Amino acid sequence: MTQTPPILRVSHLSHRFSDGTLALDQVTLDFQAGELTVLVGANGSGKTTLLRHLNGLLMPQCGDVEVCGVSVQKNPKAARKRVGMVFQDADSQIVGETVYDDVAFGPENLKLNRDTIEHQVRAALSTVGLWDMAEKPSYVLSGGQKRRLAIAGVLAMKPEILLMDEPFSNLDYPSLCQVRDQILALHQDGHTLVITTHELEKIVHYAQRLVVMEKGRVVRDGAPQDVAHALERYGICSPCFMQAACGRSPWTP
Amino acid sequence: MDTLTFMGFSPGDSLLHRLDPRTKQILLILAGGFCLNKNPLFLGLMTLALAGAGHQARLSFFRLIKEIRYFLFFLAGVFAVRVITLSDHWTLSVDPDGLQESVLMLWGLVLVVVMGILLMVTTRISHIRAALVWFLAPVPFVNERSIATMVGLMVRFLPLILFQAAEMADAQRARGIDHRKNPLYRLSCFTFPLFRRIFLKTDDLAAALQARCYTDNRTLPQLVFSRIDALILWAVLVMMGVSISVFSHP
Repeated sequence: MTQTPPILRVSHLSHRFSDGTLALDQVTLDFQAGELTVLVGANGSGKTTLLRHLNGLLMPQCGDVEVCGVSVQKNPKAARKRVGMVFQDADSQIVGETVYDDVAFGPENLKLNRDTIEHQVRAALSTVGLWDMAEKPSYVLSGGQKRRLAIAGVLAMKPEILLMDEPFSNLDYPSLCQVRDQILALHQDGHTLVITTHELEKIVHYAQRLVVMEKGRVVRDGAPQDVAHALERYGICSPCFMQAACGRSPWTP
Repeated sequence: MDTLTFMGFSPGDSLLHRLDPRTKQILLILAGGFCLNKNPLFLGLMTLALAGAGHQARLSFFRLIKEIRYFLFFLAGVFAVRVITLSDHWTLSVDPDGLQESVLMLWGLVLVVVMGILLMVTTRISHIRAALVWFLAPVPFVNERSIATMVGLMVRFLPLILFQAAEMADAQRARGIDHRKNPLYRLSCFTFPLFRRIFLKTDDLAAALQARCYTDNRTLPQLVFSRIDALILWAVLVMMGVSISVFSHP
């Protein structure tokens, strides 16, 4: 049986910041199309730096990143069209004054014609349930709506792969459920998703793969049920239901 | 957050909403400039026209006054300085010669500000940007698309910067900055962290723009100069002509 080639391939990727800190150290990972991967690690473990390499915001100093077989270094623009990124701080990502303008920003950059832009903006806003708010100023949206707007802004560019940096941070429970449902719907639609989070229990149940990073290296990689029991040694809190299943009170060492 | 923002685009289908943004910008420059000419007939006609247009665009009069209240205080100060004089006997008196001129000047300034607000309320930023690109295109050595993007980003991020400044001021007050009497110390405590934060945000913004394939050469909104635009422009030019002829030849 032949295995399909990975949609995203990271080979021996290393990155050192200008202050000398080694952010990524020989990271090698393959992502299959349609996979939902959760990437966890303590602060400073290299999760965000890795995501930024996957769509060419950072270029490899050593190693390579390939999207659909094409090196990101050789063609960063093609990588950014295929790999959309939702940032941790939605406010920094939203550039349009109104909801509509913000979602149209990406397709306008791709030089699509006006009718196509209109169509893709409508589709993206409908997908995240914000079409009714298309004319609202973006700064009046709630935290959850801003996060969904950020997702719509990326979806309007029709990417195959979505990277999400801490999509659940600073959200109340209803907003969190909306964002999580959005992620699951995107996954059902066949998107490949890579999500970094500190709040593992909100998504781990739905993930096919759990990757643990520590000090810039991948230290665990596998199915969530195989990896999640050993998280605390890497400074990551196990989901409460797993702690309870082991007979431990949640949030105790 | 909402209280820190100025009037922004409000969707609608009024005459002003339907006008080409280039027409609105030309009108702002033409009529705004002429308002400062202190022609009472033109000011009266423009006041009526703006009141009608504002009403049709559903611009609340009270909200408008609230938005420009600080400007009105400033104008009241200018008015007082121009009109009230101190006589030889240290008594205050009103200069009747300056009164009429000052009223006309301040009236004109208020109309210019109202025109600016009407432009903002009835025009999408992306359309203002597209019009700016159109106007700047013939100017040599100017990258009109970069300038238009900068204007758009400034309008988008000004409320955020104001919000951060207010949040930072609150945090510093909570830690007793009010007890420090040295204004330079207080200023440095406020400005350095604020600028640092703004620069970090700018970095994030640059990454977000890159991630969404930002380029100067983007699809711009289509601008359509219709018959109604031509009519309105002619009407304002006629108003200006009539006002000049009436007040130049009494």
